[in-house]
Amino acid sequence: MNPQTSSSPLLASLTHRIVQWARRKSPWILHYNSGGCNGCDIELLDLLTPRYDVERLGILKEASPRHADILLCSGPVTRQSRDRLLRIYEQMPAPKWVVAMGSCSCSGGVFQGGYNILGGVDQVLPVDMYIFGCPCRPEAIIDGLIRLLEKIK
Amino acid sequence: MSKITVPIGPQHPLLKEPLAFSLTMEGEHVIESSMRIGYVHRGIERLSQERTYVQNVHLFERVCGICSHVHTTTFCQGVEALLELEVPPRGLYLRALLCELERIHSHMLWLGVQARNIGFDTIFMYAWRDREIVLDIMENLSGGRVSHAVNIIGGVRIDLTPEHHDMILKQLDILEPQIEALLGVVENERSFQARTRNIGVLSLEQIRRYCVVGPVARASGLDMDIRRDAPYPPYDQLRFRVPVRYEGDAWARTMVRILEMVESVHLCRQLLTDLPDGPTSVRAKRRVPPGEVVSRAEAPRGEVIYYIRSDGSDKPARVKVRTPTLTNLITLPDQLQNISMADVSVILSGVDLCIACADR
Amino acid sequence: MSRLLTQIYLFEEIFATLQLAFPNEEFSVQGKPIDDTFLILAPEMVRPVVELLMEKFDVYHLSTITGDDTGNGVRLLYHFWSGYGITLSTLLPYDNLSVPTLTGLIPGAAFYEREVHEMLGVTFEGLDTPGPMFLPDDWEDGAGPVRYPLRQNANEKS
Repeated sequence: MNPQTSSSPLLASLTHRIVQWARRKSPWILHYNSGGCNGCDIELLDLLTPRYDVERLGILKEASPRHADILLCSGPVTRQSRDRLLRIYEQMPAPKWVVAMGSCSCSGGVFQGGYNILGGVDQVLPVDMYIFGCPCRPEAIIDGLIRLLEKIK
Repeated sequence: MSKITVPIGPQHPLLKEPLAFSLTMEGEHVIESSMRIGYVHRGIERLSQERTYVQNVHLFERVCGICSHVHTTTFCQGVEALLELEVPPRGLYLRALLCELERIHSHMLWLGVQARNIGFDTIFMYAWRDREIVLDIMENLSGGRVSHAVNIIGGVRIDLTPEHHDMILKQLDILEPQIEALLGVVENERSFQARTRNIGVLSLEQIRRYCVVGPVARASGLDMDIRRDAPYPPYDQLRFRVPVRYEGDAWARTMVRILEMVESVHLCRQLLTDLPDGPTSVRAKRRVPPGEVVSRAEAPRGEVIYYIRSDGSDKPARVKVRTPTLTNLITLPDQLQNISMADVSVILSGVDLCIACADR
Repeated sequence: MSRLLTQIYLFEEIFATLQLAFPNEEFSVQGKPIDDTFLILAPEMVRPVVELLMEKFDVYHLSTITGDDTGNGVRLLYHFWSGYGITLSTLLPYDNLSVPTLTGLIPGAAFYEREVHEMLGVTFEGLDTPGPMFLPDDWEDGAGPVRYPLRQNANEKS
């Protein structure tokens, strides 16, 4: 319901604000490892465990791209992974955001110059948030996700 | 019944790594399977030829995030043999302490993932909560939870203060009853046994033919452990048992890994009580004399082997890495024969795949 | 110290058995760190020697197969473990990069041979290669910068 084009702008604007609030309060994430060493992946899985517990922020780790709002990428992009990464991004419904997690997905990391490496995730997809670290700590991932949510307000 | 092909693509909820499977099914049963790896191939062996030995320690730590310390241990062990360096005993004991802590953290991680794939989320939460104890110890010692950067060519760069010593012993006292509780659940809980008994059985004959290593081999009766059979110091001075079971199914692999965790806790205590005094490293030359070396170690998943050839410069001429997951992957088509779709996740996680290790 | 003596003694036995079984062939032995003995032989002798080792000495654990481009040819190293390390080392000339496969004797050698085939271009006669294992699907059509990544002249397309 678009407030500009709808016949009752007040109701449309209210609905739009509720939907935006729901998006911020419950972003569901999808994770894809396009070539990394698993260090960032296990720190991401740590977020679901009792110590860091991101479910209190409404974040759930989803299995299918069609249910996810945020795509978390780890690892540099290898040639074989490039098409799959693009296809996952296309399958996600809009609005969607991409977060590059770890030094490797920001820039290629320690594997720069390899014969099978294309670089960081921004060579393939438009990235909205970069989280540094090798591997990035769970606190850093939570910080990055919160900043992204503030940005989309 | 007609056959359908189910692709389990590189992005799937079973494992956190990209691995593509194609299962041909008739009804609920899998008849054939084929797999594709190579999504994580970063060409590390070629990259290592363009970096110096010191830079390579940093590179080989990132072959795999879960068993990073054992990779650098094997590499540094090989280069130290080429340089004919004697690493001081205190350095070797600290290296082994981190190896054992890493073994505990890797098996806990695996137990959680296996339980999650079975549907037993409670064990996942408990195991990963207790894994935080081990990660805290490693962070106190080295500064990093997952990537420690402790090994240097010539020894280790950290040292243990008396406060660390007491802290680690206290944390191990908290950890040990939790591991025993998990062992009790796996041994006695009927639902866990119903989902893992007689699934993915591998006989001793298949293990020998495929040259399988690690807990998968020990769960089928092959008594092989590099720490005992090719003892690299300090394991030649330590006393430990190697758990072996004979059932060969997913339950036996779970039991072997939990029993290994219990042994690792005992090994950590031994390493701390018998820790010798002295320096923790020696200075190493930048240029390595020409030669070749074959270095082996026992990673949490099995035997890891490095072959290093040097030509006299400060960059290696060839480094070959073979990780245990690559060896264990070859058993998957055999295990995925004539099983029902619901057991695919149990079998895939029972082998403890670390595709980043296998692809390099 | 006694491990080293056991290793030398056992290897003496292996060496003597090999010289009896193949009297016209040349073998040479080198000890290497950390716990290994290299046995250097001709490419066509690899399969018969492995068969003999498996039959007479119960050597079954193949750790890995290393391919190494030395500039004079491609060296193949078959690393075995049987209480201590035994490595069979053979040099293949560039104009004949081919050797019989071991998968009939040791099915576990399949992945290692496929990797050497992909990275260095060595043909293993009798090996089943259903497609690329590590390299991407479009690598053979020239998508990557080099054809065989671990060759020495890998800076030019070959």
